Amino acid sequence: MTLYKVTGPTAFRGHRPGEEFEAELEPDLERRAKARGSIRVVRREPTKTDEKEDQVDA
Amino acid sequence: MPKRIALKDSVEVDSVDLSNFARSVAFSSEHARIDVSGFNATGTDEFLAGSTTQSVTVEFFGSYGSGEAHQTLYPIHKDREVVAFAWRPDQTAAVSATNPSLEGNVQILTYAPGATRGDAETYSVEFTAADEAGLAFVTSVG
Repeated sequence: MTLYKVTGPTAFRGHRPGEEFEAELEPDLERRAKARGSIRVVRREPTKTDEKEDQVDA
Repeated sequence: MPKRIALKDSVEVDSVDLSNFARSVAFSSEHARIDVSGFNATGTDEFLAGSTTQSVTVEFFGSYGSGEAHQTLYPIHKDREVVAFAWRPDQTAAVSATNPSLEGNVQILTYAPGATRGDAETYSVEFTAADEAGLAFVTSVG
């Protein structure tokens, strides 16, 4: 799950400006929302794919 | 059910709440009329319902700030993106049978903002249904 903060002037997915919410947004939706300043990523937990890649790297 | 004054509508485009930047919404769903009339004694035409064309037109106030109408809508048009659209009569109440939500994936095929001296800037945007699911009223959160 990723923690997002609503940075735009209007609600995003029902979350008010300034609110933080956890979600798994589709990559395209996240890209557009970040580009227009609606949201920003606060914290992104590593996915299982990331963990597997880390194990291979080690 | 009581009659309604449209005041609290919710308009959401690509998950962004644009309600305060919108002042009118008009949904259109039309089946093509396929003429299957044959010779008959009364001369009456006979039609079958053909393919369905759906769109919803929203009148927006010109607003160019971060995350506002233009910055939300123009990239969708420019990049030919397909995004989620939702409209329901009362933004203060959950989706229900008495507060149905018109939902679907849409495109913006034409984007044409404009302005007139001394007037509030407004422009209409037509959202065209973009996949086989079309636009449909739902009465519960899916």
